Amino acid sequence: MKFGLVWAVVCGTLICSSSTYGQTDDPSPFSEAALVGEFEWIAPGTRFTVGVTLKLDEDWHSYWINPGDVGEPITLTWDLPLGFSAGPIQWPYPEKIDAGPLRSYGYSNVVTFLVTITPPNELSEFPVTLSTTADWLICKDVCLFAQETVSLSLPVREAVPTPGPYFDEIAAVRAKLPVRDPAWTIEASHYSNSFALRVSPPTDAAPDLQGAYFFPAQLMLIEHAVDQPMSKDGDAFVFAMQQSEYATELPDRLQGVLVASEGQYFDTARTVRALEIDVPLRTESNQNTSTTLPILILFALVGGLLLNLMPCVFPVLSIKLLSLAEHNKLDNANRVWHGVAFAAGVVVSFLVLAGLLFALRAAGSQIGWGFQLQSPLFVAGMAFLFLAIGLNLFGVFDIRGFTFTGLTQSGTSHSLTRSCLDGALATLVATPCTAPFMGAALGAAVVLPTAQALAIFVALGLGMAAPYVILSTFPALFDKLPRPGQWMETLKHVLAFPMLGTSVWLAWVFGNQAGVNGLGLLLLGLLLFAVAAWIVGRWPSVQVTSSVRIVTRGIALVITCMGILSAYQGAQQQSMSHTDVTSDGLWSVYSTEQVQQLSREGRPVFVDFTAAWCLTCQVNKKTTLSSSTLLSAFSQKDVVLMRADWTSRNAEITRALESHGRSGVPLYVLYRGNNDPPVLLPEVLTESIVVDALALLPNRAESLKSTISTDT
Amino acid sequence: MKEFHASAYLIVLLLVLASIGVKQQSSSDEAEIGEPAPVFTLPGTDGESYDLESLQGEFVVLEWLNFGCPYVERHYRSGNMPALQKEFTEKGVRWLSIVSSAPGTQGYYESEEMNVQNEKMGGMQSAILLDPEGDVGKMYGAKTTPHMYVIDKEGVLIYKGGIDDQPRASYEKTKLANNYVRAALEEAMNGDEVSEAISRPYGCSVKYKK
Repeated sequence: MKFGLVWAVVCGTLICSSSTYGQTDDPSPFSEAALVGEFEWIAPGTRFTVGVTLKLDEDWHSYWINPGDVGEPITLTWDLPLGFSAGPIQWPYPEKIDAGPLRSYGYSNVVTFLVTITPPNELSEFPVTLSTTADWLICKDVCLFAQETVSLSLPVREAVPTPGPYFDEIAAVRAKLPVRDPAWTIEASHYSNSFALRVSPPTDAAPDLQGAYFFPAQLMLIEHAVDQPMSKDGDAFVFAMQQSEYATELPDRLQGVLVASEGQYFDTARTVRALEIDVPLRTESNQNTSTTLPILILFALVGGLLLNLMPCVFPVLSIKLLSLAEHNKLDNANRVWHGVAFAAGVVVSFLVLAGLLFALRAAGSQIGWGFQLQSPLFVAGMAFLFLAIGLNLFGVFDIRGFTFTGLTQSGTSHSLTRSCLDGALATLVATPCTAPFMGAALGAAVVLPTAQALAIFVALGLGMAAPYVILSTFPALFDKLPRPGQWMETLKHVLAFPMLGTSVWLAWVFGNQAGVNGLGLLLLGLLLFAVAAWIVGRWPSVQVTSSVRIVTRGIALVITCMGILSAYQGAQQQSMSHTDVTSDGLWSVYSTEQVQQLSREGRPVFVDFTAAWCLTCQVNKKTTLSSSTLLSAFSQKDVVLMRADWTSRNAEITRALESHGRSGVPLYVLYRGNNDPPVLLPEVLTESIVVDALALLPNRAESLKSTISTDT
Repeated sequence: MKEFHASAYLIVLLLVLASIGVKQQSSSDEAEIGEPAPVFTLPGTDGESYDLESLQGEFVVLEWLNFGCPYVERHYRSGNMPALQKEFTEKGVRWLSIVSSAPGTQGYYESEEMNVQNEKMGGMQSAILLDPEGDVGKMYGAKTTPHMYVIDKEGVLIYKGGIDDQPRASYEKTKLANNYVRAALEEAMNGDEVSEAISRPYGCSVKYKK
């Protein structure tokens, strides 16, 4: 009864007339095993080959060392006389076995697995019996386990062994073993979720590898069921394979067997149908060793310096500097300490941000630099902050502890803590700007080892704090400034405009994420916040009675909460509208799968990795990438244009960026389509850069079009 | 000190906003480790309808099932799968066995017959779901029976792959294998990261509609 169920199931799915079907009485259903030797006898110390032959019923399969999506390879457990040893199974090249969306690698009809047996040097002349237990899986529509113990008795003689009845059969099986042929030049590379195997024939051979197939020996490396398009590059054949979703890490080498299609051979003697492949795997990361850490750190320092000129940071910092000028009664040593405290505030804040990013990444979030702006809530929060700073600079309101500048504070409040927090605040207001202008640079940092990445963030912070530190160290520079006075108020008002401008820009980013309804709610929230700020400023706490103060502050608080609630509601609109990424006529929406598909077809693809909050991206998009010269150059080379919009979080795009060693936008990639490594173009994109890159593409648009038109 | 408070609050608030925003995850239609598991609604053989989204807040195990497959049979007959199902459903895990066999192929049964088969095999899962069109199987990329997926309380996929590391184990040794699903659930329940989030799925092919 134990096997009744199996029986019922198997019989239910197959037409089974025989009562022996599926019964475990037959331990090797639908197949038989046998053990055969190549020689008539064994000579002591002379190696010989035996073969385990499986005869499979029609349509049933056994499997290769890598069975592919499903299946198990055969295993042999040897039982040998003392002193004998058996080598590993020599696997004949397999065939593809397709079942729906799955592909396996194995054998049908008859397959023989060769094994080299080494006898001891001393042997008495008694016959020996070699025995092995074979376990294999046999599948048709269904799978069954099979087991059989097979043995072979052979006499022992001192003379050189002579061929036995199975000699020719074993020789024929040997011809099915893959061959390592040094005359062929073989290279393997990996980029962006796909592998390229490039094989160049020796000069005298001119095989046709159309329809050849690469069987990977590694279990979880390539997606078996995906076709492997082949393209020709000069004399070389290039096969493209898609990386498996189960590939956790890349191996150092690519191993497997390249099998020519029926009737094709790798050699002129027409004997070799399968090449053994075992070559180093070149990956993108070990190609880019040129950018060293010191250079990256230098870039980060300069980048940090430049941040001070960004519209969102410039006003805050300049007023901070003015406040320092105002407090010129501070002695020099004290000033230096303020500079140090400010720098510490900046650096620590950058480290906190970096730490947050790493923690989220470690927790499995697919995010990169600029992640802060992919969150509509954060964008809204920043819009409120910039509005607050702007209103504060206009003097609309001024509450204790909410003054960003120190300018309106009395001299005594200019503490070191204050300087440190100003540093933190400066970093925070800089975050929307680091993403647009430095996304790519920081993106490169994020994928480095943690210690190196942190070093880059520290350098960035130091760069940003540098002007303040320098000025506070050399107070003589302040003497050039006019005496504090009305002009400072005017300057504050002027500087309020870039703050409000930043707010407008953030609102636009928010609108891209949350749609026009969400944007409306955010603007309403900002208006309510402005009203609250006005109330607080209209009845300053120092001039009104405590009851008035409580009432006005209460009203202001309620209105602020309403404003925040409105913005929060706005942010929730996100999921409804942002998914509809624009796909205008020329630019299609990015898809990794499609890029790989087109690459395999040999078609070049240009991808614009962009985001609404990335200013560099927007500038490039509106200028370079919209120019008619460029667009016609693209169409001349038959380049497919794709746009990967990273405005909101998108794991597929993050992964694509990472495959190029980045985790930020902008990024411009030209996939050359010939399975050549893709070309990364600089962030500041000019027409000539793109045109030069396009010139690298072979001029074969016409011939390609004709081949593609067949399957589109 | 007031200044300190005001600025510090502001900074903390914004950092919190940023991380909350990042955490807001939308569902995808691909089974990727660390990403929200693709959501689906399938009928159970118990007549209920099962919506993955509504199971947020609980650990969920998805097991691709085909009672005709000898691998599946080994894991049930040896008591390995039922014991695992019992152990973790008792800890509050929702264990859903999904059958993607198309009508007319191995492992396909109508609800009632499926329940009879499950009784015989001693299945202790929370429910058996029917996916005869294979849509959910293909969305998850399920290749084999068994093929296992573990989803955490936030709906994020934390494990995909085989049930254990012993494709060729005997009935007796099945329970001694390194069970990836148990390891993933135990680690996740302890608040640890799953150390082996991906393994090679093994078993019979899923009998998808041709």
